[in-house]
Amino acid sequence: MLLLAILLPLTAAAAFYFVQSIRAQYYISLLVSVLHLAFSFSLFMGWYHPGEFILFSADSLSQLILLVLSNVYFWVVLVSLAYLRRREISHSVSGRRYYFLLLNFYLFANTAAILSNNFGMYWVASEATTLSVAPLIYYYRNEEALEAMWKYLFLVSLGIAFAFIGILFLMLSSNGTVLEGKQLFFTEFAKNSVLLNPIWLKASFIFIFVGLSTKIGIAPMHAADVDATSNSPSPVAALMAGSLRITALLGVMRIFQIVTPSSVHGFARTILIMGGLLSLFVAFVFMFKVKNYKRLLAYSSVEHLGIITLGIGIGGLAFIGAMYHIVYNSMCKVVLFFIAGNVHREFKTREIAGVSSVINLMPWTGWLFLLAFFAISAIPPFGIFFSELMIFEGMLFSGKPWVLVITMFFMLFIFINMGRALFQMLYRKSEHEKILNEPERFDITHFASIVLLIAVIVVAVVSPEILREHILSISKDFGIKL
Amino acid sequence: MDINTLLQGIIALLAILLLAPLFAGVINKQKAIFTGRIGAPVVQPYYELKRLLRKETINAGSSSFISDISPAVNLIAMVVAAAMLPVGFMKPLISFEGDIILFAYVLGLARFFQILAAMDIGSSFEGMGASREATFAVFAEPIFFFTIGSVAFADNLTSIYDIYHSIKLNNVTYIVFIVVCSISVLILAVTECSRMPIDDPNTHLELTMIHEVMILDNSGVDLFLYQYSSYVKLCIYAIVEASLFYPFAVQNSYVAVIIFLVVIAALATTLAVVETVTARFKLKFVPQYLLFATAIGVLNLLIYTFTK
Amino acid sequence: MQNVLSIIFCLSLFYLAVTSRVKTYVTVLQLQGIILTVLLLYPLIEHFSVPALILPATLFIVKVYLIPKYIKKILLDLDIKRIIEPTIQQFSFLLLVIFTMTVIFVASNILSKSTGIETIPFASGFSAVAVGMFIIIFRKKLIIHVAGFLVLENGIFLFGSTIASKLPMMIELGSLLDIFVVVFLMGIALNKISSTLSGFEVTALRRLKD
Repeated sequence: MLLLAILLPLTAAAAFYFVQSIRAQYYISLLVSVLHLAFSFSLFMGWYHPGEFILFSADSLSQLILLVLSNVYFWVVLVSLAYLRRREISHSVSGRRYYFLLLNFYLFANTAAILSNNFGMYWVASEATTLSVAPLIYYYRNEEALEAMWKYLFLVSLGIAFAFIGILFLMLSSNGTVLEGKQLFFTEFAKNSVLLNPIWLKASFIFIFVGLSTKIGIAPMHAADVDATSNSPSPVAALMAGSLRITALLGVMRIFQIVTPSSVHGFARTILIMGGLLSLFVAFVFMFKVKNYKRLLAYSSVEHLGIITLGIGIGGLAFIGAMYHIVYNSMCKVVLFFIAGNVHREFKTREIAGVSSVINLMPWTGWLFLLAFFAISAIPPFGIFFSELMIFEGMLFSGKPWVLVITMFFMLFIFINMGRALFQMLYRKSEHEKILNEPERFDITHFASIVLLIAVIVVAVVSPEILREHILSISKDFGIKL
Repeated sequence: MDINTLLQGIIALLAILLLAPLFAGVINKQKAIFTGRIGAPVVQPYYELKRLLRKETINAGSSSFISDISPAVNLIAMVVAAAMLPVGFMKPLISFEGDIILFAYVLGLARFFQILAAMDIGSSFEGMGASREATFAVFAEPIFFFTIGSVAFADNLTSIYDIYHSIKLNNVTYIVFIVVCSISVLILAVTECSRMPIDDPNTHLELTMIHEVMILDNSGVDLFLYQYSSYVKLCIYAIVEASLFYPFAVQNSYVAVIIFLVVIAALATTLAVVETVTARFKLKFVPQYLLFATAIGVLNLLIYTFTK
Repeated sequence: MQNVLSIIFCLSLFYLAVTSRVKTYVTVLQLQGIILTVLLLYPLIEHFSVPALILPATLFIVKVYLIPKYIKKILLDLDIKRIIEPTIQQFSFLLLVIFTMTVIFVASNILSKSTGIETIPFASGFSAVAVGMFIIIFRKKLIIHVAGFLVLENGIFLFGSTIASKLPMMIELGSLLDIFVVVFLMGIALNKISSTLSGFEVTALRRLKD
């Protein structure tokens, strides 16, 4: 049954080679995404227990992230048809033809990566996700998109090669022990990791972390992701920000899980904390000078993934907060990118200075943008408030309260800069007042944004028991005791 | 040292001193044949040297005592260096612990005096040649120490004779090591003796001269001493290269001498071919070229140390 | 035998560091492909088996024939200039490569005393990774970046094949998959770049800076 879930999008993608009409492709993709969402939801709720299939299995972490992926994917597919139908985008006919094919291939690859329980399979699936996303970045077929696609493809492939070296070191660390030749299954390695050679384990962790950080989009190698996210069409950017980064983070968490019982644990935590702080620093610096609102959102992604990494590194309550943060962050980012896509469609520019008085001209978009900004900046009752509160509490009670001080300092300025840019876009009256031909219609992006924002509030306030159970079991896997 | 080795050493030294111009003549003859000419006879360098002895020595008015003593110092240094080489794989005349350093720096002394004498003449031609020679010598020095020195470092030997005799032919790694070393030493020989592709010994143009230009204003006995020293230097470097092939000749001392002569002849052919085929490098590429040879030497050092 | 092949591999890396012609990169990549194929064929001398011949054969075809042919075709189509203009002097580059190689060799010697790896192939592979990274950082042309990436992959292959004696298949297949798909896509991307952007220097890719 697991295999069916993985292969279904692949068959859909293959079928699109023959089915040419975009409408038909859209409906088939929508059906596939609904089935996928149903499957991951039932997996998450525990209504269905699949067995282990070779190389694939689903433990709590996989189930959580799979649900996140399905959710993001469903909403992205939902708005895709309206996006593709826009007549303003002229020279992307060929992009339109391959759009759904690539989306379904992406779903296939990402599901395989999340459900894998073997580092080798994870690595191959990660490579496949990169290859499926890169042509999607090039959708607009202009020079900046080309440059973004080239940089993304090149730097992420380099990162994946580094992660491969890390996997080789992991195999090397198992030389001479019981695990030798056991094909890098996570669970086996995690159980016996005290037997592994610590030097090679450390090297493996560093290489995998640095290599995957290109994909996660945190420092030290965040540049490619930022460029790619800011130059791709909004649904693709939402997809990348919501699900691709989390899958790469899954890889880092798996190696962290392997490292946890062994002596390298403290070293790994230090590296994660440093990575998180560095990402916050990078977001802090670049927010001052960013002039392009999509790039602003991309740096905001860097910031939030940095916070998640920091939470994982600190451990304890912060780890649990980081898990909640994964869920809420992906939903809020999807909303933000959809809204940004709407703004781009009307104003035809990505510069902040070119956009003005959105609140008057496009009331639906403007108000939703404001609410989404509140959501991502951790204002209650949106969920991110609760998850960041947990992370901060964990940081305060860990042995390193100075981390909290630095984090809050950076986040204060990030909030100020982002707010300044946003309020300029929403409220500023410019000299050339743009006149719209018709009042703004309520379309599907608004619908999706409203549903997602309500979901963020509801999940945070109601705090369903099943989510809590899952997150607690994940933290037990990672050796966190409350 | 018993009388046998002493006699062998003296014969070896005399052989080098007498046969050095012949080596250069063989190279020139082969170059001529490759380019389709008949060329000068093989003993032509001897005739040149004899002709130079008859001429008178003129020095510049502003020159000092350096110009007087430098040619002689050159020759003496070459003779001392030649006395330290294992010709035909036999024990050399001067051989003690640490003589590898003496070898390198006796040649350095000769170069030092030559540079000083060139600047002493006071003409800008010689100054240009002196500056080029000094620059290339800086980059060429590490090559010698890294290639020969890698064996010295690994075995803690510091005498040239011992170093060459300790290269054993155990497995394929050493064969590759020797081949790679000989490439490095060939590049070194080409640089030190101012052959192509570093310098062109045939053309006497400002663009291409390094060694030739330093002795441009010398004549008579001085020039005889300089020319003769350069022939001996070429012979010395050829022997340094050929002695790397020692392990092939362990059996019998007569076979050793024959193999030695064969290798020297092959080296002459190689030099002739290289000189015919290559064009001179741009001067700014020469440090890079020499660094490449040093890199090979460093690699050899690393591999030799870590295979032990 | 592994040592000898690693030595030749390292020499090819030095040559890459000093060269200034674009075609030399392709030739050195072919040479490295041949070295790796021989390395894979060597254990077959003892226990020969036909299925084990598939991997070296594919490796040979891909690395020595297909990829160089593809790169040469790109060079011809896009009419790329024959000389690369480096960002830093050749001399300093070679010095950096020598220094890095020394550090890597010494480090792997220290490491090999505690774990059971063979020093020289491991260090050669790792220095190929380092040289590949330096090529990517310090050269301007995009096609040279692709060549640097391929050198990096060769390095991973070399030291991967000495580590994993129990699982040879996974490593080699992983590398091959990586190279194949990546080069394929990079070729397509370069074709598109040639028709839209004017040059092939990385300096032309400046639009996305902040």
